[in-house]
Order: sequence, then C-alpha cells, then structure tokens
Amino acid sequence: MPDFSHSQSAHCESGVAANLLTHQGINISEAMAFGIGGGLFFGYLPFIRINGLPLVTYRAAAGHILQQIAAIPGVRMVQKKFRNRDEAMAELDRALAASIPVGLQTGVYWLPYFPKALRFHFNAHNLVVYGKEGDEYLISDPVFPKPVRCQADDLVRARFASGALAPKGKMYYLAQVPEKLERRHLIVRGIQAVSKMMLGSPFPLIGVRGIRFLAKRLGKWPQRLGQERADLHLGHVVRMQEEIGTGGGGFRFMYAAFLQESAAVMQEHRLQDCASSMTAAGDTWREFAAMAARICKDRARSDDSYAAMVASIHRCAAMEEKVFAELQKWTKQHS
Amino acid sequence: MDPLQQELLKLICTTCNLHDVDLDSIGPDDPLIGPDSPLGTDSLDALEIAVTVQKEYGVRMDSENTSRVVLQSVARLADYIKKNR
Repeated sequence: MPDFSHSQSAHCESGVAANLLTHQGINISEAMAFGIGGGLFFGYLPFIRINGLPLVTYRAAAGHILQQIAAIPGVRMVQKKFRNRDEAMAELDRALAASIPVGLQTGVYWLPYFPKALRFHFNAHNLVVYGKEGDEYLISDPVFPKPVRCQADDLVRARFASGALAPKGKMYYLAQVPEKLERRHLIVRGIQAVSKMMLGSPFPLIGVRGIRFLAKRLGKWPQRLGQERADLHLGHVVRMQEEIGTGGGGFRFMYAAFLQESAAVMQEHRLQDCASSMTAAGDTWREFAAMAARICKDRARSDDSYAAMVASIHRCAAMEEKVFAELQKWTKQHS
Repeated sequence: MDPLQQELLKLICTTCNLHDVDLDSIGPDDPLIGPDSPLGTDSLDALEIAVTVQKEYGVRMDSENTSRVVLQSVARLADYIKKNR
C-alpha cells in the first residue's frame, strides 16, 4: 500500500496543505498552514446569496491558503485544470504511478463516503489521493479520522461537479519543497496580511468593519424580515461560523493555535498574549452562536434577544480590533 | 455508563430541552449528534452542548479537538473531559 501519513483536521484546505507538506518532510501543523496561508478573514456579503441567504464568511476565499503555500520560496506546486474527464483521470493516474500524492478539489455531494446527511453542494472540498487499487482510489480526506476509498466513477463526478466554485478537475501536487521551511518570515508575512485585511479594508463589509456591519444588520432582521426569516438568517450565520471545517468560533480558535505555535517559534510572549486574546474572541463568537441557536430552537432564555446578540457581536469586533492592532504593531517591528 | 457519563447525558438533555428521552435506552457509544443519534440532536444543539460543557467543566472544544470529534458519543465526551479538566 502506498505510504501517506493521514492526519484528521478541522478544515480541508489547511489540512491538505499540512498533510502534503508533511509528506514531503516539512512537518507542519494544520494551524500553522492556516496561519502562514493567511486563512483568517471576515466578510459579510449580503449581495451574494447561498440558498437565498446572505454570505457570511470567516475565512479567506477557497484556494487562498494553497496559493500562499505555493508562493513560499523554494516551493513548487504543480496545478492543473481540465476540460476532459478522461484526461483528468489519466493525469491523476500518471502522478500516482510516480508515487506522487495529489490534491484534488471536489464536490462534497458526489463523494459517497460522506454520510448522506453531510453531503451538500459545496464544490471546493480538498482531499489527497495517494494511491489506486483496482478501480478504487485511496484517499486521505482530512475531515475524516481514517483514510477512505472511492470508486473511480464517483471521483470523476466529484472532480467535475457543476455549479458555484466548479472544480473543473483541478489537481495539484508539490513538485519541490525547500530543505527547511523558514517559518519566521512566513509567520510575519501571514500575520501582516490578515491584520491589514481585518483593520484596513476600504470595504465596510470586510474585516472588523464588516463584523460591525453584520451586527447592525442582524439587529434589524426581525423588523425587516419577520421573525421566521430572521431566525432562518440567524441559523445560517451560526452554521457558517460553527459547522464542519471552522474548528469552532469561526476559525478564531484555529488562528489562536497558530499564534500560540508562532509564539514558540519566534520566542515572543506578545504573540502568546495575542493567542489568548484570540481564544477569548472565539469564545465570544461561540457565546453569540449559542444564544442564536437557543433562539432558533425556540428555547431562548430570558436574557436572550437580538439586541443581546448585537451587543455580543460588537464585543467580538472590539476584541478583534484590539488583537489585530497589537499584531500589526508587532509585524511592523519584525518586517 | 459511569457516573460522569450519566451526569453528562442529563446535562445534554437539560441543555437541549429533551424531556421525553429514556436515559436508560442510551448507550455510552451511541452517536450524540446527527441523524443516527437516539437523541435527535443536530449541529445547533452540538454548539450549545459545547458551550455548556465549557462553562460547567472548564473544557474547551477547539480546532484541534473539534466538537465534531469530541461529541461523537457520551463516552468520548466523558474521556475528553477527564483528560482535560
């Protein structure tokens, strides 16, 4: 059986990035891949609708982390998209025959090893194919505890799923990595990019301004949309924040883990303090989400209300504003 | 079920307003969340359980120990609390 060390992760893209690098001898955690890949984000984009509900995202666009990893000096990542399905599968088989583990972008809905309840139309799910036995592909899907298998026909469907973020057969693999990863520079660069976006975006829907914008809008949902649709919108925000892939607290816990690891690499207690503050922000996001869940489930406590949730989101904004200001100051001293 | 597992099961039922559950019919390894769960709980319930567990036992479910993994069963949750509190 081909050799590939599978590790379960919270988020597929950072998990695949970490697993591919680790396979090449660069031991890296999921949190570190997420952080140096500039994975954290906040955007509330009501003009983009998912099933009729406004897009709220807590992480960078799909593919951003892999792009950042590919841009690391000394890393060469081969990336290909295809129009022809046979060609796409033949190219995958060629790489596997050369013992190269291959990252794929896929549509979750078509992957039969996902429990039916978890299959949804999301076309930017990343996984690693590391071998083939007969007509079955051996897959390291980072959101699963153990490697899985998938029939060729199903994998073709997943690689060529149609709709938003259609993968178009996208495959990628690491053709070259540096002997040693110079983490210090990458950590500074990753924190710099995220701090700039969180604090300095000119768009009011992005970063800390976006968090405050969401708070303002959310407070008006019951009047504007009626209670039922307001609760529907609320449930959607909570799912985007807490469900599969975020690691909880809208990726804030994962970013805190990255800061904590970075503090050790950089021998920098300020990053450790920022990690604690980011964890506190994640807790506050989760408290908001728990209140929202109680309201959606019709078991609200006496002090649960839309006004209380607005206050909670404003607290998240203030906490993140403070921590990213501190991180920005820190990066200026280290770049 | 050991005493902590029983305590957790009661806490989960209280948190999620599950009044009609026969606690004796739930096994320690039964799925806690999702369509296969005898409790009929979903991801929003999982979130509330995660917050309640953190408040009651001081144990956080984070990106390395996600609620998806920790809340697989009451036995798994109890082990996680024992190891981390």
